[in-house]
Amino acid sequence: MTEITRVQLFSEGGDTWLALAPEMTLLSGLVLLFIVPNLGDAKWRIPLTQVRIPVLFGGRRFTATSDPRLPAMLAIATLLLALWQALISQGADAKTWLLTSGSGAEANILLRVDAFSRIFEIMFYSALLLAAVASIDRLPARRAGSEIQQLIDNRRQVDFYLLLLMTAFGMSIVTMSMDLFVLFIGLEIATLSIYVLVAFHKETPEGAEGGVKYFIVGAVSSAVALYGISLLYLWNGNLQLMSNSATGQIGLVERWAEMESLLGLPLIAFCFVLVGFAFKVSAVPFHFAAPDAYSGASSTVAGILATASKAMGFIGLIRVLVMLAAPADGSAVWMFGLGVIAVVTMTWGNVAALSSSNPKRMLAYSSIAHAGYMLAALAALGAWAWGGESDLISSAPTDAGQWILTALIFHLVVLVAFKLGAFLVLALLETEGEVSDTAPLAGLARRDPIIAVSMFIFMLSLAGVPPLAGFMSKFLLIGGVVKMSAGDAFAAIAAGDGWSLGQMHWTFWLALSVFLNSALSLFYYLRIGVIMFFEVPIEGRRKPLIKAWFLRLSIWVCAIGTVIFGVWSDHLINLCYNAALAVL
Amino acid sequence: MISNAKMQMRDREFALISGLLAISAVLMYLFPSFAVENSAGQIDWITLPLVAFPLIAGTVLMAFASMQPYRLKDRIGQPIKLISLAFALMMLGISSGLLFGWLESINWDLSQYNRYELDFEYAWIQSIGVSWHVGLDGLSFSMVWLTTVLIPIVMITTWEEKIGWYHHPLILMMGGALIGVFVALDFFMFFVFWEMTLIPMFFLILKWGGDDRRYAAQKFFIYTFTGSVVMLLGIITLYFLQPSSQALVDQGVLTGRTFDMTQMAIGAQAAANADIAWLGIDMQKALFLMFLLGFLVKLPAVPFHTWLPDAHVQAPTAGSMLLAGVMLKMGGYGLFRVCATLFPEALLEYQWLLLTIGMVSLVYGSFVCLGQTNLKRLVAFSSVSHMGIILLGIATMEPLGFAGAIFMMFAHGIISPLLFAVAGAFKHHYHTLEIGSMRGMAKHSPWLATFMMFGWMASLGLPLLAGFVAEITVLIAFWKAFGWWVILPGITLIVTAAYYLWSMQKTIFEGGDDGEMPESLGGAPAPDISLWEVSGMMLLAMLTVLFGVLPWIFFDMMTGYAYGLFDGILLNVITGGA
Repeated sequence: MTEITRVQLFSEGGDTWLALAPEMTLLSGLVLLFIVPNLGDAKWRIPLTQVRIPVLFGGRRFTATSDPRLPAMLAIATLLLALWQALISQGADAKTWLLTSGSGAEANILLRVDAFSRIFEIMFYSALLLAAVASIDRLPARRAGSEIQQLIDNRRQVDFYLLLLMTAFGMSIVTMSMDLFVLFIGLEIATLSIYVLVAFHKETPEGAEGGVKYFIVGAVSSAVALYGISLLYLWNGNLQLMSNSATGQIGLVERWAEMESLLGLPLIAFCFVLVGFAFKVSAVPFHFAAPDAYSGASSTVAGILATASKAMGFIGLIRVLVMLAAPADGSAVWMFGLGVIAVVTMTWGNVAALSSSNPKRMLAYSSIAHAGYMLAALAALGAWAWGGESDLISSAPTDAGQWILTALIFHLVVLVAFKLGAFLVLALLETEGEVSDTAPLAGLARRDPIIAVSMFIFMLSLAGVPPLAGFMSKFLLIGGVVKMSAGDAFAAIAAGDGWSLGQMHWTFWLALSVFLNSALSLFYYLRIGVIMFFEVPIEGRRKPLIKAWFLRLSIWVCAIGTVIFGVWSDHLINLCYNAALAVL
Repeated sequence: MISNAKMQMRDREFALISGLLAISAVLMYLFPSFAVENSAGQIDWITLPLVAFPLIAGTVLMAFASMQPYRLKDRIGQPIKLISLAFALMMLGISSGLLFGWLESINWDLSQYNRYELDFEYAWIQSIGVSWHVGLDGLSFSMVWLTTVLIPIVMITTWEEKIGWYHHPLILMMGGALIGVFVALDFFMFFVFWEMTLIPMFFLILKWGGDDRRYAAQKFFIYTFTGSVVMLLGIITLYFLQPSSQALVDQGVLTGRTFDMTQMAIGAQAAANADIAWLGIDMQKALFLMFLLGFLVKLPAVPFHTWLPDAHVQAPTAGSMLLAGVMLKMGGYGLFRVCATLFPEALLEYQWLLLTIGMVSLVYGSFVCLGQTNLKRLVAFSSVSHMGIILLGIATMEPLGFAGAIFMMFAHGIISPLLFAVAGAFKHHYHTLEIGSMRGMAKHSPWLATFMMFGWMASLGLPLLAGFVAEITVLIAFWKAFGWWVILPGITLIVTAAYYLWSMQKTIFEGGDDGEMPESLGGAPAPDISLWEVSGMMLLAMLTVLFGVLPWIFFDMMTGYAYGLFDGILLNVITGGA
C-alpha cells in the first residue's frame, strides 16, 4: 500500500498543484477557451487624452484568434496535456493524496487522488479527446464565407468545446470525491454540460427532443439523489465517506458499518441516492430517456454518453455501494435488488436491441445491456465476504472482490475503445445524412473496407468475441463472479470431492445470465456485420465516404485499441488491479 | 479436350511464382538462424511459418488487392493467386520437411501421453494465464500435414473461381486458422482459432455460394456457433475448476490459473494414476458433455448434422472441399485432444453414448444417402456416416480403434475433397447437381466420370485406397471390443456400397451412345472439366492411392499416438490406478 499524503487544499507547498495537475490544466484550458477567441485589436482611450491603450479584448479579432478551428485545437491541446499528466502520475512511485478543506476541527476530507481516480481520469480524457478530435470534422468550421458566418461558427465551436472541457472537469471531480456533496457537485457540472451537448445537434428536431427528455428525466433523478444525500446528512451530520481521524468525525462508511439493525432513514436515503446513479448508468427502469437521447444527439456525443457519462455513474455506484454499504459479512441489503435489476437490465437491453433497426438506438440498448453486465458484477461484489454458510467453503473469497472490481474498471476503460468507436463510425456515416435505420450501413465494406472492418471489430468486441478487448473484460467479469460465488469450492472439486450447484452462492446465476445474454447479443451485433459486408449500398450512398481524416484517425485509434487491449492487455489490467486495490 | 489457351501460364507469371518460391526457400534456409529454439533444440517452425504467416499474408494480399481501383482488379487477380499458391506450397514444404525429417530429426512414431514435439510456449496475456503454446504430436501433425497439402490443391482446383484476388487469400487465411486449431495447446488459443475458422468459411459460402447461400451460411453459423458457445462455457468452467496456484500468482497471473492444456493433462494423469476422478466424476461428465456438444456439431454427428448438407449444397467448391476435408476433422480432433485426454473417466462412462451416436450416424447417414439425388447432399450424408465411423473407433476404447479413427479422419480428409471437387466441377459444367437427370457421363466428360468413379470407390473403401485402411482398422477394433456386433456396421457399409455402385453405374456408364443430358444444359454440348480441375483431382487421387498402398507413412504415428494416449491415462482408468 502506498503512503497516503494528507494535504489541505491550496495550502502552502505545491502538493495541491501536483495532485490536481490534470484538473488545473483543464481549468486553464477553460479560461483560455473563454479568452483567446475573443482577443482582438480593441483599444481603450484614456479619457481626456488621445492615448489609446490596446486592451486586446474585443474589437476586430486577429486572424489567428478568429480562426474557427482554434477552439478545437485549444480543447484538444488541453485534453492531451491533462491526459499526459494523468498518465505520468501512474506507475511505481504513484502517490496517494487526501485533500482536506482545512486544517482545523472543521476540516473535511474532500478529494482523494489515487490509482482509482487516475485510471478514470485517463479514461475520461481519452474518451473526450477522441470525441473532440472526431468533432473537428463534424462541426462546420468554415473559414471562407461571410464574416458573420465565420463568427457564428467560431462561437458554436467555442460552446461545444467549452462544454466538453466542463464535462471532463466535472468527471474528474467525481472520480476523486470522498464526500458525497462534492461528488454531487462534480456530477452536476458534468451532467449539465452533457444535457446541452445532447441538444447541441440542433439541425434535427430529434436532437432537441432527446435533449429535453434527457434533461427532464436527468434533473428529476438528480433531485432525488440530492434529497437522498440531504437525508444522509441529516443522519450522520457530515457527508464524508471516510472517517476523519484528525477531527474525530465519523464518516458514512463507518457509521453504516456500526449500524446494528437497518434503520429506515439511511436506507431510504441510500435508495434515493441509488436512483440518481441508476439513471446515469441507464439501468432499467430508469433507462427510458437513454435511447431517445442517444439517437437524438450527434453520434459523437452519444458515444460520450455511452462511455464517459456511464463510467461516471458507475464510479458513484462503486463509491456508494462498495464503500458505503458493503458490510464485511456479505449480507449487503442491496445485493438481491441490484442483482434483479442487473438481470432485467441486461435482458431488456438485449431484447430491445434485437428488435431495433436504428443503429443508434441499437447501440443505446446494447449500452444498457452492458450496464446490466456491470451491475451484475457490482451485485456479486456485495457478496465479497460471504461464506460460513456452507461447510465446503471455509474462507471468504476476498480476492474475488478485487478481481471483480478490476474487471469492472477494465470494462469501463476498454468500453471507450469499442463503444465510442462504433458511435464514431456512425458519426462518419452521418456526414452524408441521417442514420436512422440500417440502410446507410449497407454495403459499407465495398465503399470503405477499412471503416467496415473497424466497425466489425467494434461489434465483435461488444459481443465479447475472443481475443478482443470486449472478451477480456467479460471474461474477467464472469470469472470474478464465478469465483466469488464458488469460494474455495474449486479446491474441493479438484480434490475429487462431491459438490453441487446448491453449495454455490446465488450470484452464480448472475454469471450465467451474463454469459447467456452475451450469446444472445451476438445476433444483433453480427447482423450489422452481415449488412455491411453482404448488402448492396442504397441509392445515394454509393460513392466512397468523405475523407474526414480526424474522424478517421479517432476510429483507427479506437480499432487499434480494441485489438491491443484484447491481445496485450496485461499492462492495463495491472493498472486496473491497482485501482481496485485502492478502493477495497 | 482440356487444352485451353487461357490456362497457359504466361512466362511472366511463371517467373513470379518461381521467384517467390526461391525467396521462400532462401527464407526457409535462413529461418533457423533467427528462429526461437526450445529446450529440446528444436526450432519453432509452427508459430511464424505455419500459423502467423498465412494469416498475415492472406490479410495483406486481400487488403492490397481491395485497395486497387476496379479496372486493375482483374489484372492483379492472377499474381495474387500465384502468390497465395506459392505461400501455400511453402507451408506444404515445411510440413513435409517436418514429416520426412529434413528440417528436424523427429521420430513421429514415438508418442507419449502429453508429450509434444516442437513444444513452444510464449507468455501472452499473463494476467489471466494465457500463453501462446504450440506443439505437435502424432494426432495433430497428421492433421496439420493434411491441411497444408489440401490448401494448395484446393487453390489449384478452384483456380478459375471468380474474384480470385479475394478467393485465394481467403483460402490461405483459412489454412492458417485451421493449423492454429491443430497446433494450439492452450484453450484460449484453441478457441480463438476454432472461431477464426468460421470467418473465412462464412465469407466463402456467402460470396461464392449457390442461390440459397444466405440461409445456408446462417444455419451453418448458428449451429456451429451454438456448439462453440457451449464449448466456451466448458472451457471457462474448466479454467475455474483448477485449483489456484500460488506459483502462478507470483508470476503475475492475477487469477492463479492457466488455460494450458498440458498443465491440465498433467493433473488428469496424476489423478488417473491415483485412481481418483480428476475434478470429480460428476463435474467431469458435465464438462465432457459440454465439449462433446461442440465437437459433435462440428463433426457432425446425428442429430446435429442438419447444417452440413445445406452448407455443402450452397458452398462453392473450395468451401466444400475445406469444410469436408479439414473443418469436420476439427470435431474429431477435439474429441481426442480434449475429451479423451482430459476426461478419461467420463469417456469410459459415456462409451455407450459415443457408440450409439456413432452407430446412428453411420446407419442413418448411409441410408439417407440412398434417397439423395443431389450430388452434394449425397456426399454430405456419406460424410456424416464416415464421421460415425470415427465415433465408433473412439468408442471401442482400443488403441487400434483410436488409430483407425484418426486415419479415417485423414483418409476422409483426402477423399471427400476429391468428391466435392467432382461435385463442384459437375455443378460448374452441367449447371445442376441432380445426378438423377444424367446418364452416360463417361461419354461426355471422361475425366469427370473417371474421378467421380474413383472418388466413390475410395469413399466406399476399395482395398488399396486410403479409406479401406481406416474402415478395416476400425472394424477390427470394433470386433475386438464388441465381438460379432461388428456385423452391424459391416453390413451397413457393404449394402450402401453396393447401392452406390449401382447408382453410379447408371449415371456414368448407361444410356446408350449419347447418354442423357440434364435439362439445365438446354441441349448444349456437355463440356469436360478444365486442366486446373483435372490437376487438383489428380493430385487428390494420387494421394488416395499413396496412402492406400503406403498407409504407414501416417498410420504409424497415429498408432503411436493412440498407444501413448491409451497407456498414458486410459489404461489406468480402466484398470483402476497405476
